Amino acid sequence: MEIIASHGTIFVILAVVFGLFMTWGIGANDLANAMGTSVGSGAITIKRAIIIAIIFEFAGAVLAGGHVTGTIRSGIIDPASIINSPEILVFGMLASLLATAFWLMIASWKGWPVSTTHSIIGALVGFAIVGIGPEAVKWGKIGSVVASWVISPIMGGTISFLLVMSTRKLIFDTDQPLRNAKCYAPAYVFVVGFIISLVTLFKGLTHLNMDLTITQSFIVAIMFGLLTAFIGWLFIRRVKEDRAADRDFHFASAEKVFAPMMLFTACAMAFAHGSNDVANGIGPLAAVVSIISSGGDVMQTSPLPLWILLLGGGGIVLGLVTLGYRVMLTVGRKITELTPSRGFCAQLAAAATVVIASRTGLPVSTTHILVGAVLGVGLARGMGAIDLRVLLDIVISWLVTLPAGAFMAMFFYFTLKGIFS
Amino acid sequence: MDIKSTTPFAGLFRTSPFKPVQQHMRLVFSCICYIPPLLDALYRKDYEQVKEFADEIIKLESEADEIKQAFRLTMPNTLLLPVDRKDLLNLISDQDSIADLAEDIAKVLLYRDMEVPDPLKGVLDELLEGTMEISVAAKDLIEQLDELLQVGFRGREQEKVSQMISGVRRSEHNIDTIIHRIKRTLFEHEQRLDPISVIFWYQLIDLLGGISDQAENVADRLLLFLSK
Repeated sequence: MEIIASHGTIFVILAVVFGLFMTWGIGANDLANAMGTSVGSGAITIKRAIIIAIIFEFAGAVLAGGHVTGTIRSGIIDPASIINSPEILVFGMLASLLATAFWLMIASWKGWPVSTTHSIIGALVGFAIVGIGPEAVKWGKIGSVVASWVISPIMGGTISFLLVMSTRKLIFDTDQPLRNAKCYAPAYVFVVGFIISLVTLFKGLTHLNMDLTITQSFIVAIMFGLLTAFIGWLFIRRVKEDRAADRDFHFASAEKVFAPMMLFTACAMAFAHGSNDVANGIGPLAAVVSIISSGGDVMQTSPLPLWILLLGGGGIVLGLVTLGYRVMLTVGRKITELTPSRGFCAQLAAAATVVIASRTGLPVSTTHILVGAVLGVGLARGMGAIDLRVLLDIVISWLVTLPAGAFMAMFFYFTLKGIFS
Repeated sequence: MDIKSTTPFAGLFRTSPFKPVQQHMRLVFSCICYIPPLLDALYRKDYEQVKEFADEIIKLESEADEIKQAFRLTMPNTLLLPVDRKDLLNLISDQDSIADLAEDIAKVLLYRDMEVPDPLKGVLDELLEGTMEISVAAKDLIEQLDELLQVGFRGREQEKVSQMISGVRRSEHNIDTIIHRIKRTLFEHEQRLDPISVIFWYQLIDLLGGISDQAENVADRLLLFLSK
């Protein structure tokens, strides 16, 4: 207890610094995939992508990030047995933050495929095993988290498959693709706004003292969906038929309708990323702050302070504007093969899946879900060629990142413990 | 520190295999386009020009070959494609054999200063016209691949392409009857012609007929895409 009392401020400062370091890493790297899809299909410029990311990452973290933060903060480890020595949990959370940040940095430097989500879970488990004991890990919860890593890409893929099929049925496989595209596009944009806002609103804003009933949530979500549909309609209205391009490619004009629509999925994607990845990053920080501010109570469940969510969002934005935009450009250049309509389907499917996972408190990987969504498009015979070797890299990233995070967390845990006690 | 993307996401996307197939077909078609002027020069016995056109065909054929080679090298079997990989490789090889036939015709005319027997001219023109028609149809089919991909090789586009394929089939049948007639004509006049020339005329007619057979093969290959 006296360690907490004498070093409390230092711990909070360390947690803030490590947390910023880690979210900076997420912004510098992880975000590029989520937004690169829109940049790659030429739907938005890099400048707009950054502005969208800044606004919607914050919005996602603040409005929908609380549940995932809660899982990271108190869902993975059961600290009941160390109720009298809260400093262990503080060291552990700091070590987990540092381990993930370092692992992300090493991976970014070497270009290895990793997932932030997986490394933070690995780090927490690693620390808990050596710091408290294997029985302190809530293995059941870990099981459901790991299961979600398999289920979420499948879900993203299924949704994108169905979306591609629907665009064919309603738009492309008709006599007048352009007219139908303009007719149905606002409906698709409505779906983007409606799903994201409904999932977020439905009993999800308790931490902002807004508790809406089912009916209220539905009404607000419908209104929000209509608003986005209207804005979408304003953009889509201006799309003109391009006869020259249509001669070369029959569906060129209809595809052009989807370009402004990707603006909305880019927003949804940034929102989803904020709701899950930012929340992942700040979970340990939130845990440290709540232990210190309550004077060493490891079991307490005080609400998540808003400044922590803002800090996480800030770190991501910092990472994005310092290094992330360059990675985003590289990623964007490589995925020009994704036409606007397919990019739209993949992003909408991924964003919806991530937001639903966030709502249930599951820490998932945005990139992996996006990969699943792209595969869904491929299985609908909608893409020229998808290189399946990438799937192997992804499985390796799952397998390697968990122990890597765990071992680094163990190392940092003992280092911190040695320094402070 | 050099920051690289840590997610292999971008590596998922490969360029569409249909683009090189279309590019290849356009080159093959350019080869075929040189055949009527080549024979026209032969009618006029302008052997300078025959050589010029023949060289052009040989050049285009080797360009097409390069695309075919590059295509094969960039088709690992880890790709998720909307069509069967083997069918795609066979398609480009069928297209390539059209260019090979054009090259063979050009070479015969390069090595031998041939003369067109007068009775053959009328029906030979018919054959050339038919060959051009079927080549245009085959090229148009390949140009539909983008559209087919957009709708998943189903629906209206599938029907449209199926009809185009039947059109190619009919043209091929039509060309078969022309070849029958041209060979009959050649047989009727072969007593009065130089025997060695006659041998080469039979060969040239078979090569020209081969173009329409291969064009039909290309169309049949495309039918496999639709039936997957």
